[in-house]
Amino acid sequence: MGNDFLEVTHDKFVFRVRKDYLYHPEECWAKEENGLIIIGVTDFLQKTVGDVAFLELPEAGAELAREGEAGTMETIKTSVMLISPVGGIIKEVNGGLDENPQLINTDPYGEGWLFKIVPGDWEGDKKFLLDAQTYFPKMEAKIREEMAKK
Amino acid sequence: MRKKVVLLPCSGIGKAYGEMGRQAIYELIEDFGTEEVTTTCLARLMIEDPDTKDLVQGNTVITVDGCAKDCARKNVEFTGKAVDRALRVIDIFKDNRALKPEGILKLGEPGFKLVHMLAQKLKEEVEQARGKGKGDA
Amino acid sequence: MLDQFKQVKVGVIPCNGEEICEGTLTRFACRKVLDLLRPHDTVTLCLPLFISGDKGEQNFAKTFPTITVDGCEKRCSQKSTERLSGRPRHAIVVSELLKERSLQPPRSRRTLEEKDQAAIDLVAEEIAKKVDEILKNG
Repeated sequence: MGNDFLEVTHDKFVFRVRKDYLYHPEECWAKEENGLIIIGVTDFLQKTVGDVAFLELPEAGAELAREGEAGTMETIKTSVMLISPVGGIIKEVNGGLDENPQLINTDPYGEGWLFKIVPGDWEGDKKFLLDAQTYFPKMEAKIREEMAKK
Repeated sequence: MRKKVVLLPCSGIGKAYGEMGRQAIYELIEDFGTEEVTTTCLARLMIEDPDTKDLVQGNTVITVDGCAKDCARKNVEFTGKAVDRALRVIDIFKDNRALKPEGILKLGEPGFKLVHMLAQKLKEEVEQARGKGKGDA
Repeated sequence: MLDQFKQVKVGVIPCNGEEICEGTLTRFACRKVLDLLRPHDTVTLCLPLFISGDKGEQNFAKTFPTITVDGCEKRCSQKSTERLSGRPRHAIVVSELLKERSLQPPRSRRTLEEKDQAAIDLVAEEIAKKVDEILKNG
């Protein structure tokens, strides 16, 4: 497990970035698997917003634009608009989140995935995404900003 | 002698849920009276305080956790006792979206409305647990 | 890759005990330290999470200095911290502190009254003082 992630510890929180995923600055990730692109939110986002209580996601069959709206996520602290980092048609939505949206908190890069998309132009869209090494220092900068706000 | 129901909140200090669970339990204890329903310190159980261990082992236990980390439930199970019911405060919030506590400890009016709803839910759980014969030794 | 931000912070671990009013007092006093008195120097560790084995909480307590704040002489927070992560740098027992300073404990574990603010302030100041000592002496 230690080899799969880049990590930084701040206070008691360990922030993780999955090495083999691609990232959008709006704190979502994309991972290609068997021709589909799996979409989720980052560990940084879930830690910042808190325990997910409500989730509204588009249905299977919905067409999304790159960086288009893809639902909302609400916690006791805040409400977050989700975007899709990739354009295409939703093939499958994570049904496990209906009963347990907090999978996003406990396993944001695994069981907390949001939806799978049939990409319209994956080769084109992924040029706009960051690899883990590039995303990681940007995440660290955001962490410092959050801590300085306190 | 009829078994008591022991309510154990996680009582975390990092989120409002901990305070909500605690307050709901206090509200319920005032309704029922401590001969029927009681609480004790989760931490005392974990340091193996003998009186606390006896209380938990010998009675019906309902845990009230703030979130999916389920600390109260896990801590009780770690002592070898299976909890009779496990609740999560966040589930009350899910049914009452418009109500958000104002602070972590100072919940404010909306927070205490949620507390009251949680106390009502707990009351149902307590009555169910007692009604199923778990109240009798 | 594991990296750590270099600033030393002090972990404050209240007992949060439900059974007595001093447990309620530990919560309010600790939050005052975290939110107002020493917001950039302290972190709270959640005792139930800590005990249930959360690596984040336990690793912090092994790496950084801690102050336990117990409501009573059972010292649940202190004992748990010693068992799981090592001795805290300071251990405060609220019931003893109130007695020393001739302050009455709160009457209710459910709500604290205005008159209890003096007790909250006393405990919070004591925690803050200990934080300062730790950061000054290393």
